[in-house]
Amino acid sequence: MSRVGAWVRHPFWQAVLLLILAYLLFKFGIALLPPLLGMHSAPVPTSVVVQYMLIALVGVLIHVSSDETRWRRFKEPIHDTMVDADKRWVRLAVLILVPLLIGWVTYDQTRPKVEAPITLRSIHPAPPSQITFRGKTIQLTGLENPLRHRGSLTEHIETGKRIYYQNCLACHGDRLDGQGHFAHGFSPTPLSFADQGTIAQLTESFVFWRVAKGGPGLPREGAPWSSAMPVWEDYLTEDEIWAVIIYLYEQSGWKPRTWEESTGGGEH
Amino acid sequence: MLVCLLFAIRSPQSAILTQEPRGKAAYDKWCAGCHGDTGAGDGYAQAFMLPRPRDFTKGVYQIRTTASGELPTDADLRRVIDEGMPGTAMPGWRERLTDAQREDVIAYIKSFSQFFTGPAPTAIEVGTAPRASDEAIAEGRQVYEKLECFKCHGQDGRGDGTSAPTLTDDWDQPIFAADLHGSWRFNGGSSVEEIYRRLRTGLDGTPMPSFSDVIDSKIITDEQLWRVAQYVRSLSPEEPPPVREVIRAHLTEEGVPSGPADTTWARAEAYYIPVVGQIIVKPRWFSPAVEGVWVQAMHDGSRLALRLTWTDRSRSPDPAWDEWLGRVRQAMTDVDGPLPSSQGPDLLGVQFSPRSGEAEPPFFLGGSTRRPAHLWRWSSAPDAVTSGTGTGLGQFTADAGASQLTHAAQFVNGEWQVQFTRALVSADTARAPSFVAGRALPIAFFVADGSNGEDSVRGAVSAWYAVYLDVATPTRVYVAPGLTMLLTAGLGLMLVRQAQRRERNSERSNSEG
Repeated sequence: MSRVGAWVRHPFWQAVLLLILAYLLFKFGIALLPPLLGMHSAPVPTSVVVQYMLIALVGVLIHVSSDETRWRRFKEPIHDTMVDADKRWVRLAVLILVPLLIGWVTYDQTRPKVEAPITLRSIHPAPPSQITFRGKTIQLTGLENPLRHRGSLTEHIETGKRIYYQNCLACHGDRLDGQGHFAHGFSPTPLSFADQGTIAQLTESFVFWRVAKGGPGLPREGAPWSSAMPVWEDYLTEDEIWAVIIYLYEQSGWKPRTWEESTGGGEH
Repeated sequence: MLVCLLFAIRSPQSAILTQEPRGKAAYDKWCAGCHGDTGAGDGYAQAFMLPRPRDFTKGVYQIRTTASGELPTDADLRRVIDEGMPGTAMPGWRERLTDAQREDVIAYIKSFSQFFTGPAPTAIEVGTAPRASDEAIAEGRQVYEKLECFKCHGQDGRGDGTSAPTLTDDWDQPIFAADLHGSWRFNGGSSVEEIYRRLRTGLDGTPMPSFSDVIDSKIITDEQLWRVAQYVRSLSPEEPPPVREVIRAHLTEEGVPSGPADTTWARAEAYYIPVVGQIIVKPRWFSPAVEGVWVQAMHDGSRLALRLTWTDRSRSPDPAWDEWLGRVRQAMTDVDGPLPSSQGPDLLGVQFSPRSGEAEPPFFLGGSTRRPAHLWRWSSAPDAVTSGTGTGLGQFTADAGASQLTHAAQFVNGEWQVQFTRALVSADTARAPSFVAGRALPIAFFVADGSNGEDSVRGAVSAWYAVYLDVATPTRVYVAPGLTMLLTAGLGLMLVRQAQRRERNSERSNSEG
């Protein structure tokens, strides 16, 4: 027990322990955080882990070298391993293992890698200020959902529901999570409306533009054109699109962004 | 709410009474769009999917642990609601609805049918699976034949049996005999235990019977039925095939294979590419027959060969499937115009970016007028391949002049096997890409089953993937690690030597001092 205590108090082993903990935190810990806030998580990229580890290493070195005694004690185990007669086997092991590790890293870096062509894509491209919908010019800036001030909201929701189930379901799914029964065939995968990063951040006019013009109507920076979103003006009337938008917000529980809050018109 | 809660705690009877209205709220919001307000399976989406949503009013359920003809247990219903039904449009609801909501929905769904008022149904007893082995699977194959499973599921289990085109469910809707090579899409789960249970309970409402009586009448033993389950499971990969973005073309030095049956194809890894209904441009297609294609690629430095295989229950056009097409025409929506009334051929399209080295591929759906795609188009009748330019789905112009592209195709018990072969270097680099070793090129697929009413627009599509032509490993890959290892080892030794010399020096000076 006391031996473990001595190890833990030794600056060298403290540094090793800290670096191991930091690695575990960067590699696995960070990915566990978003689910706590109800958000989707993804593994941390290796390049980011390497960067963070370098910073952690510099921090640890600054700490151990900031005090003369601590620095000396820190160097002791390293020095002993290089010099002491009774540590010859450890020394030999280190002299073999480290070059092997370096050799493997080099192999991993030089071997031919199979990579798909890189494609870039912006998630929320900036909307145009106006669009042409079936020959009619619609001013998007400042535009509200006209159905919110006309007719019965219950009826609009029901119309929107019918349109959603007959047109959108196969991709965006009945759970609104972008995992309909055809979603796995498309790339990029269909948007999840349940996610707080999609319609929850947009004005209804932005959603109208995306629905009406679909993937082929994305501006150049919205490329590649591999979005499977159809051009819905070919299928749906203006009112039908507004109704399905009402249904989306009603069903997901999100509130659309209003023009007062969004100065930039829904750009992100 | 609080009052309800109090009552609920006090008596179980009132718990049931409050469960149904709460179940109705969740049901109306999340289930009715497909299953209908009255549970008759007639929601808005009913004609936009096959199989259709379940009709709860008849009390007939496919996936049960109870004997054939009996109602499901609550646990059976819960399982389908929690996990969904693979191969159908039914998703799992565990993450969308709370535990309480799902329980309430179960109570409400049962209220649609008068049959749930009797005593609670019980699950049938099943043992555990006997150990699997090659002999066990061979025996399973024999029992598969004895029980005449092939009549619907086909000789090789691809759902292409002679009865397959005639199958309907209890609601007179067309239903496919399952393709036993895609266990990850089995409605009731893919494990041997789950398959065995389906054999014992049958899939009520579908033509799939229960085989419990065959055991009772001692035609086969219980163990033999387990063998069938093990045989069926052995037809599919152990795990659902992963979807990988890059298809690697294996480098061979012996020339590319001569046809799809060439045994050297075993050397090239097979990649599974899922395809889904083309629901983007008119006319859309919501019920594709093909769910995925397997792709293999090989090159020898001068030619590239692609081998594509996929389950297709019919060699279209096939008169045996005329009645099937008639039923599909009735079942599916004609919102984008009526389905063809006669069967066309089976189609396969392989699509490329017309120029190699371009950052952005054309529109994935057959290209566009602004940015055309390069296409290889194969048709089953007549068996022919054409290469040309696509400017949108169904918009195709064949290349003028002699084609560099050759093909060979065969139909084997419900599976199409097609090989394309082309020189790596394109004769017309403005229209067709050259393939370069060590480079990845965008590739996408289109498949249509003529007997299912599909054509060059109504069919199944894939997203863009990439085909990468393997290169021989360069020598530096072996030289560089050796060098770095030598350098590090040398540096390490030097450091150790230096430290030891310094140590000895300081010891000497200490003893001298």
